[in-house]
Amino acid sequence: MPRLPPSLFWKARQQISPFAPILLPVCRTLDSAANELRWIKQHVNSTSSLVPRKLRIWQACLKRERGMPLQYILGTQPFGPLEILCRPGVLIPRLETESIIYHLSSLIPRPSPQAPPLKILDLCTGTGCIPLLLSSLLFPARTQITGVDISPSAISLSRQNLTHTISLRHLSPSASKSINFTQADIFDLKFLPSLGYKPSELDILVSNPPYISHHGFNTTTERSVRLYEPRLALVPQIHPTSHYNCEPEDIFYAHLLEIVRTLQPKRVLFEVGDLDQAARVVAMVVRGKGFLERYARNVEVWRDEPGVGLEGKAEKMWVGGNVEVEVKGQGRGRGVYFWRE
Amino acid sequence: MLAAPWVCRSCVRSLGRIGFSQQFLRRASTDSVKLPPALLERARFLTAEHDQLTAQLASNFDEKIAKRAGEVHRIANAFKKFEHAKASLQELEGLLKSDDAEMRELAQEDLAATNEQLAESSRNLSVALTPKHPFADMPCLIEVVPGPGGTEGRFFADSVFKMYQAYCANKGFRTKVVQYLAADSTGEKGGDGETALQEAVLEVMEEGAYAHFRGEAGMHRVQRVPATEKSGRTHTSAVAVWVLPSFAENATASDGDWDNPESDFYIDPAEVKSEKMRASGAGGQHVNKTESAIRLTHIPTGITVSMQDSRSQHTNRADAWRLLRSRIAQKRREAREEAARALRSSVLSSAQLTRGDKIRTYNYGQDRCTDHRAGLDVHNLPDVLRGGDTLGKVIDAVHGWLTEKDIQALLADEEAAAAAANAPAKGKKGK
Repeated sequence: MPRLPPSLFWKARQQISPFAPILLPVCRTLDSAANELRWIKQHVNSTSSLVPRKLRIWQACLKRERGMPLQYILGTQPFGPLEILCRPGVLIPRLETESIIYHLSSLIPRPSPQAPPLKILDLCTGTGCIPLLLSSLLFPARTQITGVDISPSAISLSRQNLTHTISLRHLSPSASKSINFTQADIFDLKFLPSLGYKPSELDILVSNPPYISHHGFNTTTERSVRLYEPRLALVPQIHPTSHYNCEPEDIFYAHLLEIVRTLQPKRVLFEVGDLDQAARVVAMVVRGKGFLERYARNVEVWRDEPGVGLEGKAEKMWVGGNVEVEVKGQGRGRGVYFWRE
Repeated sequence: MLAAPWVCRSCVRSLGRIGFSQQFLRRASTDSVKLPPALLERARFLTAEHDQLTAQLASNFDEKIAKRAGEVHRIANAFKKFEHAKASLQELEGLLKSDDAEMRELAQEDLAATNEQLAESSRNLSVALTPKHPFADMPCLIEVVPGPGGTEGRFFADSVFKMYQAYCANKGFRTKVVQYLAADSTGEKGGDGETALQEAVLEVMEEGAYAHFRGEAGMHRVQRVPATEKSGRTHTSAVAVWVLPSFAENATASDGDWDNPESDFYIDPAEVKSEKMRASGAGGQHVNKTESAIRLTHIPTGITVSMQDSRSQHTNRADAWRLLRSRIAQKRREAREEAARALRSSVLSSAQLTRGDKIRTYNYGQDRCTDHRAGLDVHNLPDVLRGGDTLGKVIDAVHGWLTEKDIQALLADEEAAAAAANAPAKGKKGK
């Protein structure tokens, strides 16, 4: 990272506030430092404590300086229209996830009120942001969503988030019945039977699994991510019983496709790290044996903002030399979406 | 005849030359408005329509008819009062010619009162005939931006913002701060705890707020000794206030119809470029960025709106779209008014209200607030800045002035239309 010029620190002190230079090394720009400082101040003003206000602002700035994510300091992160609680030990919801979930919900036809509710499964749910957002976008009464995570702290936080969003009236109270969170290891052999879905009964399968490689974790992640966010949610751990023949960072996708083969959901969306990983996942889908063949012709790769189209220019990607796949939107490769006929 | 016992002849002549009478006569705008026949004709027509509609309503109720009747009710009422006053005046004039001396005396006494009544009713009639501003019923956004210049303008911008906030609080209007960007630099602090403001947007969520505040748009000038000034010199700086129409939060389809291409608020989404701040690097799980800023650019007009107040991109985008719609609607409206003004005679060219005009001065040294358009001076500046009744007085005066302008514009329009009708050949040639 390039060194920041001392004049920038001087400017931050003069133009923003004496607290701003503390935030500058993490935020990198004056604008961003000013914004973060304002949000810290708003947070301090809106919560009460015996500690003097300025001291609390200073303490928060020092934490931020050490690299602690702002979301952990403030305890929340907006996710679409919702406010999601964040706590160390659980991955913070990302803006990219928000935008691909928005796009997914725009593709789903509005179910008629008489139709049975849409059955949705979210694996590796973390804070529970995806089930909550889908529920708010598709109406709680018309969905039946299950979120699964291996970490007990994530599950307790996601349950807390459900009651929190309902208490803020971001979600209707009926969501407390239509959303549930379960703690389970998806690699466990007993996991699938425990869910109790019949084949092809599931409408949507979503997952934002850990997808960063060991090397990538050490080189491409941000310092605050590396130091403060749970490694469990970022880098796939090699499971002792796993037998998949793929890159170590793609293990979850290989296993998720096994789950797809069994549950046969109508639509599937996985978040991925970049276009290369997207290509590898697409290849796994296209070359998949058994039931996966029914998805092979309906695969798309989504970028960060799949809704923002480059009009008229359909971008294509060749996978494995012979399969053509459409790439939608702008930004970096972010999702793989496929559906069955 | 003259107050002075002796005046030199050349002086008397020069008095005649400079137009003594023109300078000291009261202008027509404050007298009873002379209604042109075209306007009276229209009022008569509308009144006839009103009577017909009420007759229809008596037999069978129809929502459409009732709505139309409600619209013209005000005009019909005003016109009937006007007719009544005119009739009584004619009666009095008849009495004045009568032979009975006592009768004449009584009529003389009543004459002044009746004349006044006629003037008032004719003014009421023209107010009723003035078309309502299309955005009048809407809530509004008040945007405060410091003018060019040093920090003094920024400090005063904060005062202006707080003045409107307090005024709304005093009046019981619901408000929301949409954007408040301040730079609280360490070295300098304004008087009264002012912070240096970069830009602020206050939303007044009350219906009809646009009509209430639309006179506030323009440059507000301040003359005072800044808190940062050491040698005690008075500085002059300016703050721009823009008033934009906005939508009620729970707008129904009829009044918040921005999907309708006919509406001023309609924006083709394809014409808007939306930009997000992007973190460098891989994105996704690799980084956790907090940048939620959104910038929208309307390509045909080049209007840019950026919003970074909230941590939620969702909220920022919604706010940015709202502000963009409001700005564009205002711009379209202004363009239309400009075109109408160009058609009109040049009588009103001096009365244009654009963003560039200085409309009000706040002078701290003299404890005075002057509105240049309404020509009103009020003292007790602290109360004005607290948003108290004194500010209410100023706003009301501006209202009166705006109504007057609207009536004049309407009369000019009617005259222009009549002139065009009389000389159609000439009009064609002109085009």
